[in-house]
Amino acid sequence: SLAPSYANDPFAPSSVPELVSDDSEDDDSVVESIDAQEIYDLVSTMCDPEHPITLGELAVVNLDHITVQDDPEELTGLITLEFTPTITHCHLATVIGLGLVVRLQQALPPRFRIDVRCREGTHTTDRQLNKQLADKERVMSALENETLMGLVGKMIETCK
Amino acid sequence: MPLQKLASVSAHTDRIWQCAPHPTLPLLATASGDKSSRIISLLTYNTLSTIDGGHKRSIRSVAWKPNTRGESVLASGSFDATAGIWRRYEDDSGAATGGEYNDEEDEEWRFAVVLDGHESEIKSVAWSAGGSFLATCSRDKSVWVWEELDDDNFETVAVMQEHTQDVKCVTWHPEEILLASASYDDTIRLYREDLDDWVCCTLLEGHESTVWCITFEPLTTPNYDAKRGARLASCSDDKTVRIWTRVGQSGVGAGQGAGAPPSILRGAPVEENWTCSAILPKAHDRSIYSISWSPRTGRIASCGGDGKIVIYEEDKTSAPGAMEVDGDAKAEQGSKAWKIVAELKGAHGVYEINNVAWSKRYDKDKRGEDDEIIVSVGDDGNVNIWAVE
Repeated sequence: SLAPSYANDPFAPSSVPELVSDDSEDDDSVVESIDAQEIYDLVSTMCDPEHPITLGELAVVNLDHITVQDDPEELTGLITLEFTPTITHCHLATVIGLGLVVRLQQALPPRFRIDVRCREGTHTTDRQLNKQLADKERVMSALENETLMGLVGKMIETCK
Repeated sequence: MPLQKLASVSAHTDRIWQCAPHPTLPLLATASGDKSSRIISLLTYNTLSTIDGGHKRSIRSVAWKPNTRGESVLASGSFDATAGIWRRYEDDSGAATGGEYNDEEDEEWRFAVVLDGHESEIKSVAWSAGGSFLATCSRDKSVWVWEELDDDNFETVAVMQEHTQDVKCVTWHPEEILLASASYDDTIRLYREDLDDWVCCTLLEGHESTVWCITFEPLTTPNYDAKRGARLASCSDDKTVRIWTRVGQSGVGAGQGAGAPPSILRGAPVEENWTCSAILPKAHDRSIYSISWSPRTGRIASCGGDGKIVIYEEDKTSAPGAMEVDGDAKAEQGSKAWKIVAELKGAHGVYEINNVAWSKRYDKDKRGEDDEIIVSVGDDGNVNIWAVE
């Protein structure tokens, strides 16, 4: 099947290992913090939807454009990732954004809010693109779209 | 003013987008990403039945038809671009006692009609106050009004394509035939029937991002002022809740009941004048997905991506009266009248909260007929029930 199992069920067991295991999540005394490097490692091995080249190699994702707010005093943390399309009129920018959202949602515990945005000025329609990526309803609806999820599945396949 | 959790019902294995308390019976319906809707008893907080098999994708919205007798009618709107009408005969004794349905009765939810027409995801469904009209809205940018001519026979009476983007929410005035819609284009529009046509009578601009949810002030709130007229609350991705007030008595039938005779003058102006009369104190740091206006206390509850439930109360004495002051001064005065009386973080643990709704309280510990609860639903698939202490 083209669509990964979690396309229809975001609560299905993740196909990628979680950074924080269930055991340590239950134990309040051990909350592993997550840093930008770990986020970069999760996404840099993803593949471009059109080329057999990774997002890290293409500099679509950059360590400097990832921020992590993970205050142990707060219930939830925030991860912000800005990506840079290879060309300003890249027609697959939405798919790349969606792929990054799916990858991070699957790999990270649910306490993280994940803001994936196209870096300002790097795409002709970056404002439109970012409004779409910030819209939970649109993102969730896209995850039910088999064609889109087929492309996203291919991007994630290369992550081991 | 603390919120006390009365119950947490693990109702779905996927996120719950929305919930709807029945207008007269102790029942709650949910809309979930698992393509089903569940009916939960508000007497016992048990799940009574599951409505599924009708939609191919997520159910995004559910609404109970008001004024039905001897049966319950539920409308559902789905990402599969269709709306469904479901019926169940109500044995009055069953509903009144908490409706512990047996298996046989469970089968009685019938998928009666599929309403086809939208080109993409339906985001919201809403019945008019009398139950004669059903409104639906979609990512296809349109708002549709359906009229039930007779049982299970629905006709499209209007298709409004005024918004330039995805339409997120539709809601009706509690008395007038006045429809409102909120959109990804950051605006709110109001519509009226003008002779044979449905027309947009107001465009409300002010929010700086997607407007997720809108609701009119119920006519029974302690602060409802018939002289001031209708008010509408809205919440947005811009993290604000705004109150809009109708100014003057402009428009056909404005300020009159639904039974007002229609204007016989073609071309009579239907435009209405609405103004932003208050911005509620800021409390959320992520998108605000839903608001609910209590018909009993006049309090407003909000929830959103930050996992908080916030309750606001309006001080009647400092609320601006009709036409006392104008414009920005009035809005500023209106904003000062509202204060936060409760704020609960992590109401669904680490998860986002998609919808809140006030409901009458029915359980065995209720304190009188006017007691109320807040129902919240989240990405954890849970329905949480709260009492305001």
